[in-house]
Amino acid sequence: MKKHTIRLHPLGKEIQVNDLTPLIDVLHEFGIEFPCGGKGTCGKCKVRLLDGEIQITYQHRQKLERLALAPDWRLACFSKCTSDITLEVEQFNHLILADESEFDFTPQKGFGIAIDFGTTTIVAQLVDLTSANVLAVETMLNPQVKFGADLISRIQSCLDGHTGEMTQIIRSAIGTMIGLILKRQDVHLEKVVLVGNTVMQLIFSGCDVSPLSMYPFHAGDLGMKVFTPEELGWKLQVKEKVQFYPSIGSFVGSDILAGIAATGLHRKENFTALIDLGTNGEIVIGNIDQIVCASTAAGPAFEGANISMGMRAVTGAISSLSLIDGKMEVSVIGNTAAKGICGSALIDAVAILRKMDLIGMFGEINSGEDKIQLTQKVYLTQKDINEFQLAKAAIAAGLTILSNKLEIQVADIHEIYIAGGFGNYINLTNVVETGMIELPEEKIHKMGNTALIGAKMFLFEDSEMTQEILSKTIHVNLEGDPNFQNIYVDKMLFQ
Amino acid sequence: MEELLEKLLQAVEFGKVDFKSPYPPQLKGENGAYELTIKALESGVGPQQILENALVPAMDRVGKKFSENKIFVPQMLMSAKAMGASMLQLKPFFTSGEIKTKGTFIIGTVKGDLHDIGKNLVAMMVEGAGWTVIDLGVDVPSARYIEAVNNNPGAIVALSALLTTTMVNMGEIVSDIKANLPTTKVFIGGAPVNNDYCQKIGADFYAPDPQGVVEHLSKLAS
Repeated sequence: MKKHTIRLHPLGKEIQVNDLTPLIDVLHEFGIEFPCGGKGTCGKCKVRLLDGEIQITYQHRQKLERLALAPDWRLACFSKCTSDITLEVEQFNHLILADESEFDFTPQKGFGIAIDFGTTTIVAQLVDLTSANVLAVETMLNPQVKFGADLISRIQSCLDGHTGEMTQIIRSAIGTMIGLILKRQDVHLEKVVLVGNTVMQLIFSGCDVSPLSMYPFHAGDLGMKVFTPEELGWKLQVKEKVQFYPSIGSFVGSDILAGIAATGLHRKENFTALIDLGTNGEIVIGNIDQIVCASTAAGPAFEGANISMGMRAVTGAISSLSLIDGKMEVSVIGNTAAKGICGSALIDAVAILRKMDLIGMFGEINSGEDKIQLTQKVYLTQKDINEFQLAKAAIAAGLTILSNKLEIQVADIHEIYIAGGFGNYINLTNVVETGMIELPEEKIHKMGNTALIGAKMFLFEDSEMTQEILSKTIHVNLEGDPNFQNIYVDKMLFQ
Repeated sequence: MEELLEKLLQAVEFGKVDFKSPYPPQLKGENGAYELTIKALESGVGPQQILENALVPAMDRVGKKFSENKIFVPQMLMSAKAMGASMLQLKPFFTSGEIKTKGTFIIGTVKGDLHDIGKNLVAMMVEGAGWTVIDLGVDVPSARYIEAVNNNPGAIVALSALLTTTMVNMGEIVSDIKANLPTTKVFIGGAPVNNDYCQKIGADFYAPDPQGVVEHLSKLAS
């Protein structure tokens, strides 16, 4: 198959892709977000074509005209790669919040780096503190994945005596990322801000993870951790400090603290929710007075774990399904033959199969067969559908139990933000259809990587906002709720 | 009489708790396990017969369908609720000794673990197979299992865990139980465990699903 090279500015990145690869499939790895989910309505993913060709379809041209863009602009979500191209990514020139306003910041001197340290991926952005512009970005797979994909297996590895090694490799990897950024942009750093879940915080800081291995989960000090580059073994200069932001509770970390900051829900009168659909799923509901949050084990099914033909969002994965004239149509990443199905398409598949009445209210396959073919090669088994039910029920039950804690109904939630790379891709109509979020679609907004947005905001803040959020926030253990089982099992149904 | 028992069996199999219960849709407007049990007792059916000829076979079908992936947790729980409605009527006969159970089964989620849905499903299915079940709840340390066996000599003990990090506590609890009560049979179950692990920690039996427990128990009882 023909290969092409994409060059990204101002990042100075080069990527090799297959012919006809949609840009949306490759750009999201670099922290580029698609707030409208690739419908071409928001224009946020616009890129300037500096060199090469991107063919414009009739539909693409209409969208560009409606957004009144100059002839050298393209929408990444409508573009496919058919030649070598060089792009300027508009999104790195602005920090954009989901309410479409750029966030307020007090300009400061110098440069800072914000890092979202996820269980699976790590994103670092170099920010000009005078303008809040992003000058460079680095992404990498968390090198700890060799110790297990999910948090429990990472904790297990720590218990098995690998803590020191895991601390060492992650510090060195992040140091290398920063080094790569500074190689391209020769600047002096004022500060580095890291956010991540509690387990990542403890491992990075070299603290004992074992209390998180079992109830009562009393982890030690989860507060702000401050380091000098020397302590971390980084051969680089940071004028002020390297800060790992405080965790909220045993399984809700500073990535969610940053998410709360990004949504600004702690300053809103109306109840607002944030759902982070990452490897570990977290849910927050709150307003200016009170915030409750919890973690759920929803992630694995959405990442393809425990799904017989499940896979991550890589080449060959079905990324979405739609029902056209009563027939299922699939779209495959990298424009190749379908090899498996990723989380976003799993939601589509279940919603569509239910709509076609191929599965019943309990998730049972109505034909009595043990699987349903989606394409000639890719299918869902009865067990896969059941796994999906567990995942969607975890989210729906989490929303219900947290609402109960606040003495409100889920329907009282004014707005709900979906964060996480995976959240970018999901079809909200289908999410609502499956009952995962029991609110009308117009109340649900995709917000991309809220952890990274919040981490960038923290570059401009002293710890006041952090203290404000922490003082309002309560961490809830969902399994500890006396009604958990009844609510969870009830949410497994399709109404 | 036969017809009443057959109706009760179906009510439990398909999870019809009582007349007003909306589930399952195909039994709308019919009596549920609650009403059918009262009627059966009124028309002179013996409580032991209700247990053995309706509840036990109904839950056996439910357990088989669950292990074949034909039904999922919600339907199983609905059936267990229907069984519970019937059991409530039979309770006096258990207390008086008129109904003989097959034995006592003590179950709990191990120390450090709060997950109880899997444990609850096993407890319901074992009760539905005609055993007296003592549920110790979650986060249960060795001492509480041992105390429960001391109060119920000859009882079988079952340990549940959902996490790889809490599964290790099973080994400790099995050793403690065996050290204090060498003849006690200990079963283990839960997502991270398997038969190899069962052998390794010296437990007596592992089952991948509730039906496996029920079938092994009936072998032990016969």
